[in-house]
Amino acid sequence: MNPKKQLLLIEDERNICNFIMTTLKSNDYKVSYALNAQTGLSLAASQCPDLILLDLGLPDMDGIDVIKKIRSWSNLPIIVISARTQEKEKVEALDAGADDYITKPFGTSELMARIRTALRRTASGSGSQSPQNRYTAGSLVIDYEKHIITIDGEIVHFTQIEYKILTFLSQNAGRVITYDSLISHVWGPFADSNNRILRVNMANIRRKLENNPADPHYIFTEIGIGYRMIDNENQ
Amino acid sequence: MIKSQKITNLIITVSCLTAATALAFLFFYLVPNNGSNIALIYILALIVIVRFTDGYLPGLFSSVIAVICVNFLFTYPYFELNFTLAGYPITFLEMLAVTLFTSTMTTSMKEQAKLIAERDKLLSEAEKEKMRANLLRAVSHDLRTPLTGIIGASASYLENDGTLSDSEKNSIVMHIQEDANWLLNMVENLLSVTRIYDQSTKVKKTDESVEEVVSAAMLRLKKRIPDAQVNVSVPDELLIIPMDAILIEQVLLNLLENAIIHSQSEKPILCFVDDDSQTVTFHVKDFGIGIAENRQYDIFDGSSYTGSTDSNKGMGIGLSICKTIITAHGGIINVRNHEHGAEFYFSLPKERAPHES
Repeated sequence: MNPKKQLLLIEDERNICNFIMTTLKSNDYKVSYALNAQTGLSLAASQCPDLILLDLGLPDMDGIDVIKKIRSWSNLPIIVISARTQEKEKVEALDAGADDYITKPFGTSELMARIRTALRRTASGSGSQSPQNRYTAGSLVIDYEKHIITIDGEIVHFTQIEYKILTFLSQNAGRVITYDSLISHVWGPFADSNNRILRVNMANIRRKLENNPADPHYIFTEIGIGYRMIDNENQ
Repeated sequence: MIKSQKITNLIITVSCLTAATALAFLFFYLVPNNGSNIALIYILALIVIVRFTDGYLPGLFSSVIAVICVNFLFTYPYFELNFTLAGYPITFLEMLAVTLFTSTMTTSMKEQAKLIAERDKLLSEAEKEKMRANLLRAVSHDLRTPLTGIIGASASYLENDGTLSDSEKNSIVMHIQEDANWLLNMVENLLSVTRIYDQSTKVKKTDESVEEVVSAAMLRLKKRIPDAQVNVSVPDELLIIPMDAILIEQVLLNLLENAIIHSQSEKPILCFVDDDSQTVTFHVKDFGIGIAENRQYDIFDGSSYTGSTDSNKGMGIGLSICKTIITAHGGIINVRNHEHGAEFYFSLPKERAPHES
């Protein structure tokens, strides 16, 4: 058994703080908490936690600035806690370097899944690249070495661009990928940020991948933010 | 009259007259003996002046100037005033009459336009005010019910801690959770509406893929009601239309949830999208008890809820918010009964209206 992972929770609402702490502790994590950004930042520096859960609405500092400050010296995973309708804030947080976000209110299982995914990123070492050579979810298998995608054992053909999108999403499975980062990864950093062409490619992928494009099982849309691919079962 | 307006009047008058004189000179040298054209040029200038200035003064002033100009510059003997020419008083009267006539007409036109604009503004203010009041009334009524439940349940849990059995405790906490979830649903709906009121009843539209919005709504529905039975489908062709996707997702979610909770039927809900030439229409069709005829007209008002029974709490606000959202999109939302239940549908325009960019 690995040593317990150390998490840091930065959240100003005491009630929410208590509930998250209880949940995390009962799931075998060590947790410390801070009720404001200043304490949070100094705890982050002194404890070097494995992961930070950060509420964006802190009283003493803008959440985005907290992320930037932490990112200036560390690559440790940050999960942002935010309200539903503020999709701009979420995109900003992700662009500033947050790994993922979770929308208030969230269930225990959702929170645990996000934490596991984010911790896996650091465990797998170098950045977002997964050392796995295969992605499996349900009947979908992506073989990165052979460049082959199969559903129920049958090969499905994707265009170059579609394959690139799928690899990027699946290597970051479980994490939300913003439109902008997906576009710059697939079309290059100077691509037009108009995401219409992305939408068209996603629609094509959906039609090849999903039984019902209106009720997908593999790739989910996070409105106004980006896409999230279902977790890799290999891990 | 305001000073700046006076100055604008003066500028318009002087520049129009100067332009007319310049044009007249041009004509005078290019086409000799063409007095009637020159008079017409001045009349045109007069009409322009009257149209773009306020009050009668600039028009009268310029008609006198125009008559003098024609006489002084363009009729023989040149550069001399001579009012004894044959028919000259008639030209003078004509010009005066044209000026007076057009200036009366444009002045009353402007006044009418102003009146209409003011009335429109008042009406839309009143409409907004009414909408807000309705919403507030419905909200406070609907929020009280689950809050009472939560307070009561938690109080009985704390007071009877020693005597409650585990299953009783469990059921109390479950009730609290249920009510809290319902409250959250309501608050999210209300938050959606603040997105509209922030921008003075206009929504911020971006191009969004219809199937992504539908699938996102399905995802949230499954999170809320895990065993929801919905047969959902989208057209084969990708549809991208301008909308505020967060709001449309909320509308779809409200309609789907209503269908599941209020249709009193176990049969799966149908959710599909129609693509017409001008609009895209979303349908949510249930196979339950349908909507009573007399409720179909005011079901989206929210007002039909105040003071009525609590049997379908929350449906009122949810639907009135749907209507607010769809109306702000320039779309239409409606309900009809079919043979085996009710069908809610709303359509959104495919193109942006000219004033939206």
